Amino acid sequence: MTDLAVMAAGIKLENPLILASGILDENGYTMRRVLQEGAAAVVTKSIGTAERPGYKTPVVVDLPDGNLLNAVGLSNPGIKDFGGEIRIALEANKPVIGSIFGSSPEEYGELAHSMQLYGAAAVELNLSCPHVNGTGLEMGSDPEMVEAIVNAVKNRVSIPVLAKLSPNVSNMLEIAYSCSKANSIVVINTIKGMAIDINARKPVLSNYYGGLSGKAVKYVGLRYVYEIKKETGFDVIGVGGISNAEDVVEYMMAGASAVQIGTAVGRYGRGIFSAISHDLALLAERLKVDRISDLKGAAL
Amino acid sequence: MSHSAVEVLWSRNESPTVKTLAFKWDQEVLPGQFVMVWTPGIGEIPMSLSSLGEIKTITVKDFGPPSAAIISTNPGNKLYIRGPYGNHFTRTDGKKLVIGAGSGMASLAPLVDKNTYGIISAREKSEIILTGNFDQGKVMVTTDDGSMGFKGNTIEALKVFDAKVDMIYVCGPEKMLFAVYNYLKDRGIRAEFSLERSMKCGIGICDSCSIDGFQLCRDGPVFSIDQLGSMKEFGVSRLTYSGKRIQM
Repeated sequence: MTDLAVMAAGIKLENPLILASGILDENGYTMRRVLQEGAAAVVTKSIGTAERPGYKTPVVVDLPDGNLLNAVGLSNPGIKDFGGEIRIALEANKPVIGSIFGSSPEEYGELAHSMQLYGAAAVELNLSCPHVNGTGLEMGSDPEMVEAIVNAVKNRVSIPVLAKLSPNVSNMLEIAYSCSKANSIVVINTIKGMAIDINARKPVLSNYYGGLSGKAVKYVGLRYVYEIKKETGFDVIGVGGISNAEDVVEYMMAGASAVQIGTAVGRYGRGIFSAISHDLALLAERLKVDRISDLKGAAL
Repeated sequence: MSHSAVEVLWSRNESPTVKTLAFKWDQEVLPGQFVMVWTPGIGEIPMSLSSLGEIKTITVKDFGPPSAAIISTNPGNKLYIRGPYGNHFTRTDGKKLVIGAGSGMASLAPLVDKNTYGIISAREKSEIILTGNFDQGKVMVTTDDGSMGFKGNTIEALKVFDAKVDMIYVCGPEKMLFAVYNYLKDRGIRAEFSLERSMKCGIGICDSCSIDGFQLCRDGPVFSIDQLGSMKEFGVSRLTYSGKRIQM
């Protein structure tokens, strides 16, 4: 039987499949169930300092062919009220990774510290929020800002730090290099997009613009995993358009130590984690490896 | 899936605060399933269908800008809907009782036939709807303030309800469902409950409507009395639109 266990960002995972941030991860009972039903770890919804309602509905557009557009708007209860959800999720006895977003390195540091106190196995930095100084740019497009955030968080916590990077930049490698102190780089976040309803003659999302995820973005994700792994050698976790075992293996061959699954959970249900694990074991046998981790970087 | 634009054929006031709108939609929908109704520029909300034939209806209570916008959609204008979503009530040919509170009665309406009794409750008379769907003498009305029917709540009505039924269907605010659940749980009667929680995406993504790890929009909104018995969140706590846990 194939060994599906992997090490990612210094965390041991029973299989390479992690629930991506933003999907079924704001209620502790849901995260617990996703873990019990086969995910090796979950990343929480991104949590900030204060409660935020997020955007009004519609916050999603269910696109054809396994794609999704969303603009939920970082809705979250605020860090003070999130500890209880993590405690419930931890009853599954698997790693819970706390995703956080802030507006300054200090704020990220404080949020990470709270996540560590709550029992999170790691923190994931959501770097796709707008600059506070009103430039309209995402924090994640500024290498110096990214470096300052990663370093501030590393100074504040002892658990691993994952930096989730946005593909909506022109200098991805430069930004990846600025995360040299992070334990892993997670690519990719969603790609900016929008949808128009021809009958209503209006954008569908209340926020007009959203993030595209699902099958269409897989090839963008693969490219960034491959490029970052090849150029920097850092640990990389792949995310973007994964919905079956072949997708997982492609990401691992591109250099990913583990992968995150989000949009496909909506399409196929929570059972996708156990279904992919099952198929992954068969696929590894066909590829003649005893351990799935032997495929890591095979295409590099 | 993208939204279907359907034309409102007619509308009817069910009460001073509740309106039914009819439209043609070539789509099979089962009792208890729901659609997401979008009003461009205002918002999108989940709505049960109150009749399921070739001409379908939604029965809407005004409780916020999106529902007010739907109510003010005149015949000839469009509704934008996607779905249907969720599971459905199990149909039965035997005798049945539907228990609906407030606008919860809308999702129960497609189940009502000659073999169906009803207990309809609301805070006051203006919120009582769809009593006309039942045969004469088969519906009991209760209001908190006594402005229509019995003065009192659903449980008091259940205590005096004495017909034998094979199945009970319940829909309304979770507090009421929890009270009915507690009344029924040791009585060995088949019962299904349709839950209402804050819902955003409708497609099993956002976790807003979840209860004990189940998504109302996908695994629900209908749960059996046995399923509810194993849930720790049922009747106890839920998440708000922002994701903050509050006690019921």
